[in-house]
Amino acid sequence: MKGASIIIRKELKRVFGDKKLIFSMFILPAILVIGIYSLMGVMIGSMQSDIEEHIAKVYVVNATEDLKTVINRDDMKMPAEINYLTASDYASQEQGLKELVLLGDAELIVVLDEDFEGKVNAYSKAGDAIPNMNIFFNPSENYSQQAYGNFSRILAAYKDYLLGNRLGGLDVLTVFNEVDQEIVKEEKKNSQFISMMLPYLITMMLFAGAMGVGVDAIAGEKERGTMSSMLLTPIKRNEIVVGKLVSMAILSGLSSLVYSVAMIIAMPMMGKMSGDNGSSGFGGVSFSVVQIVELLAIMLVLVFLYVSIISLLAVLAKDVKTASTYISPIYIVVIVAAMLTMFNSGKTHPIYHYMIPVYGNALAIGDLCGNELSSINFLACLSGSFVVAVILIAAITKAFNSEKIMFNA
Amino acid sequence: MKVHMNFQTSASVSRAPPMQPLAVRCALGMEVKKMIKINNLVKVYKLSNKKMQELKTKNPEKIAVKGISLEARPGEIYGLLGPNGAGKTTTLRCVATLLKPTEGDIQVCGFDTVKEGEKVRDSISFLTNEIKLDPNFTPDYMFTFFGRLHGMTDEQIEVRRNELFEYFGINAFKDKKIEELSTGMKQKAAIAVSLVHDPKVVIFDEPTSGLDVITAKSVTDYLKKLREDGKVVIVSTHIMSEAEKLCDRIGVIINGKKVCEGSLAEILESTGTDDLEDAFFKLYSEHGTDEATA
Repeated sequence: MKGASIIIRKELKRVFGDKKLIFSMFILPAILVIGIYSLMGVMIGSMQSDIEEHIAKVYVVNATEDLKTVINRDDMKMPAEINYLTASDYASQEQGLKELVLLGDAELIVVLDEDFEGKVNAYSKAGDAIPNMNIFFNPSENYSQQAYGNFSRILAAYKDYLLGNRLGGLDVLTVFNEVDQEIVKEEKKNSQFISMMLPYLITMMLFAGAMGVGVDAIAGEKERGTMSSMLLTPIKRNEIVVGKLVSMAILSGLSSLVYSVAMIIAMPMMGKMSGDNGSSGFGGVSFSVVQIVELLAIMLVLVFLYVSIISLLAVLAKDVKTASTYISPIYIVVIVAAMLTMFNSGKTHPIYHYMIPVYGNALAIGDLCGNELSSINFLACLSGSFVVAVILIAAITKAFNSEKIMFNA
Repeated sequence: MKVHMNFQTSASVSRAPPMQPLAVRCALGMEVKKMIKINNLVKVYKLSNKKMQELKTKNPEKIAVKGISLEARPGEIYGLLGPNGAGKTTTLRCVATLLKPTEGDIQVCGFDTVKEGEKVRDSISFLTNEIKLDPNFTPDYMFTFFGRLHGMTDEQIEVRRNELFEYFGINAFKDKKIEELSTGMKQKAAIAVSLVHDPKVVIFDEPTSGLDVITAKSVTDYLKKLREDGKVVIVSTHIMSEAEKLCDRIGVIINGKKVCEGSLAEILESTGTDDLEDAFFKLYSEHGTDEATA
């Protein structure tokens, strides 16, 4: 396999001997991923704080003194300019105010029935009339939506106050105390999002990385006529195949590693910058040494599977354009297979699912994130992809020996 | 290397007329191997439906070469002369192991091109316009790369580099990327790289095609030098003047068949013509048909 190692060195030199290629393959993607996600985090955070800090225009019609008291309580403060209107004021301005809410120039109109508290206090038995409180807001406007949410808290407190007055305390409404206590691994609690995304990202990024280097390494060389010069040397064709595949695996593995690491760094950054406290699962996944080795093994076999698929299609194509056309549908299949594992309800999958190339790998990575990957499923995932990769490599070697495929003869 | 030196001596003693060196060597009792022996070569291409539509034919097969036999010997330049599509490139590609004969067999330095392809490839240099060097690398790196693929040590590669880069004047641009070189520079680099392993057999398909006069002259001069060095040189061309000046023996191929073979003088004599162009047109009128073969 001396010939293969000479070809590997040449292929690696082609990339690592060219500063522009190093920048475009490894540095730029990392900068872009981290930059874009950080920017998204900043933008989301900025939008959120703007909504929260916006001084809402709220109109309260027929407000009772008790309601005003609740509104002014320190624990109920909301960023709002509250305007109290009488029924007669409202009657003359109703259409104008509703128009303001529709246009987003005012956020909320709360209309209490006239003599609201009188009606509340007059209630004595079931079936008696209860007063209405009409709330007008615009759910398509973020400010209005936020003001509605804030005012709902005030109304809940006001309701409790009135009920307490009517019943002489709220204890009579309590039939049991609910005490919620979470039993969860702390690292898993904050990593649901990453656990869901990581299998998808790894399986997809590895393919994207392999596609970038694989098409040019084989179809590009065929198109440029540089592959033939290698076929004219005395080394065996399978050495050329191994040399090409190993170098592609190294380059695409590195490329996707850069992407994945950048994503893992960028997502928590996005969560942090958007003001997320970790409860949405933007936190990091922590792996043990054994899990890291398992993850690398899954990624390694997946890279070989991908470079085999891409190489076979690239060698069958007569030029780069045709190769890209052949590979596009496969890329879609890979994305779909990886996406299927994103929405996993937690049910146990049969072992043969782990043997399905791509899908099985994504399942295994997902299990690994939750520390739930069994040894048998791990081996099933490796063997399934490995067998398919070996079959594909045999097909590529056969294609390299075919004059019809290599020389269009 | 011993064989190489013997041939060099014999070739430099007497070269023209072309059959004479063989006679001289035989008279001196030296063993002269037939370095290339093509025996009744037939090459049939299977056409895809798309190709059949392109060629407007219903025949799923295209016979590119129809039973060609020839021999090329050390210390001579053998020329395959024929129009475009006559089967010259297909024949040379079969010799270079890139294509497998449908019928017949080819021996190169005593090795069968199908069964011992790797040994054949170690003995030959094959250069054609369609086979190129990777444009992302320098001539210097490509020279080392192909030298290593031929199993040479770095010391052996260095010796050959000094020799060939000096001859072709490559040292001035050896560290430039091939994509930045002119056509002539690229051709010189390609020739040097193809000869890195000092092959016994040199096969050039249309060696001067697309080159300017000066670069073309340097290429043909080097082919003559290879002949002087005792190599077997086999070239294909459709340029009559090139064949006249360069080749010791010429095989005329028309529609996949060898219709005439011999030295320039022998071909002129057998066709009763005064120059190769007239001889070729006479042969073409006798053997050329509308049938497209290659």
